[in-house]
Amino acid sequence: MTAIIEATDLSRRFGAVRAVDGVTFAVEEGSITGLLGRNGAGKTTLMNLITGQDFASSGTVRVDGENPVENARVLTRTCFIKESQSYPDAYRGRHVLAMAPHFFPRYDAALAAQLVEDFDVPVNRMVKKMSRGQRSALGAIVGIASRAELTLLDEPYAGLDAVARHVFYDRLLQDYAEHPRTIVLSTHLIDEAADLLDHVLVIHQGRLLIDAATEDLRGTAATLVGRAADVEAFVAGREVLGRESIAGIASATVAGLDAQDRARAASSGLEVAPVSLQQLIVHRTGAPVHEEVAS
Amino acid sequence: MTALTAEIPAPRRIASVMRIHVANPWPTAILPWLVLFGVHGITWSIWALITHYAGDSLEPDAFRYAGGVSWLVIYMMVIAIQAMNAGFRFAMGFSATRRDYYAGTVAFFAAMAVVYALGLGVLAMVERATDGWGLDGSFYAPAYLYDEPYAVIAFHYLALYLLFTAMGALIGALFVRWRAAGLYLYFAGLALAVVAFVWWALDAGDSLVAFFRDNPIEVVMAWTLPLSAALAALGWLVIRRAPTRA
Repeated sequence: MTAIIEATDLSRRFGAVRAVDGVTFAVEEGSITGLLGRNGAGKTTLMNLITGQDFASSGTVRVDGENPVENARVLTRTCFIKESQSYPDAYRGRHVLAMAPHFFPRYDAALAAQLVEDFDVPVNRMVKKMSRGQRSALGAIVGIASRAELTLLDEPYAGLDAVARHVFYDRLLQDYAEHPRTIVLSTHLIDEAADLLDHVLVIHQGRLLIDAATEDLRGTAATLVGRAADVEAFVAGREVLGRESIAGIASATVAGLDAQDRARAASSGLEVAPVSLQQLIVHRTGAPVHEEVAS
Repeated sequence: MTALTAEIPAPRRIASVMRIHVANPWPTAILPWLVLFGVHGITWSIWALITHYAGDSLEPDAFRYAGGVSWLVIYMMVIAIQAMNAGFRFAMGFSATRRDYYAGTVAFFAAMAVVYALGLGVLAMVERATDGWGLDGSFYAPAYLYDEPYAVIAFHYLALYLLFTAMGALIGALFVRWRAAGLYLYFAGLALAVVAFVWWALDAGDSLVAFFRDNPIEVVMAWTLPLSAALAALGWLVIRRAPTRA
């Protein structure tokens, strides 16, 4: 595997604000990477830097080994769809789709037409009159159908309902399987997207907090479910990422369980379940430990 | 890492940017002509009314001065500003470089200037052939264009359009780069330029008047070309470092 994106000590400052602050990472060619973080964490700025739409204050970013800024060699292989994409005032949906093949050499118009049906996008409507979800769907269609070597999707389904999001995941994965490419996906809906992601980058206040394979990250914690007293006894002295309890049944997400711990938990009557990626990340990005009690 | 080549060659990238501006041809290529013909129709009606009531007392050059075409240059400047703003962010979103975007957009403005110049020139010739739409009116070749040949009329409109779209490109670029602050910069610069010009004109006095009096219209208009080129070049310097913002 080779890296398609390499960022080295990459920073972007806006006055006193460090939107991206000394970030170093690499994205493997052909992977699906989740770029996760809270609002204002710097996800969009980072994607703008990767696609040459913004300029680094310091550090470097390389795509296919080259600086992406004003670089048609890189950019003709790149598709960056963002929620905030603006369209010319006079554009209808079909104008957007008509332009796409001129900018994305691998764009598949037949696939796009199929996706328009799947997402039920009113392509004859003025884009400025579309709902947020319809605009998102339009972007998602271009993002999937462009089949760009490097596809970046920034909150691609903001405003889409659950059915449309399911269609999005489904079609993206299906087309990815037939036409492999590198995908970087930023999202708030971590658990929903978790199964898609090979790799996770978590950015918090401009800094890179987690850079790990999804599998490894999941392995760093586990959720234990059982009788409240048993759970409490087991987790005493351990790092607890989250707790829930309903009647006498409790669950706790615990960091750093090895195979021996897991066996011991099982023998003391606790069920060991895989951890929710969202819970793990919420905890690591500084939110207070969330405790839900319903009794 | 193997050496990359662009997957789309440069001429096609620039042509693609030009397409962005005519994907919906309505505001740039259709609506202006419709409005123009509408204004022409209204102007003609007024001429007809005046001719009817004035009868023989009408002065021979009564309909020599009409401003019905001049709004078009302002409209085109507004189109240019819009094209720079929404078009830039759209093109960047579709993986265009700033260089390709600006080249394609300026090429589009130039193409529009040619189309409008040729079209208005043809209409001026029709106007002449029909004895001023039957009423000795001058709509497409008013005032100083009245007696000029086709080439001069077309060149005059071409230069005028280039000047105003270049100005629009610069304003749009300033807005894209610095938002409202860019517009303050533009109007402050414009105000200074006007003051400097008036200062210089007062000083130059007679020689300036002589320039406009002694030179034919095509020479005066030719002098706008370097100014247009300078404005367009300035626009590039502004936009080449413009980030895309939401």
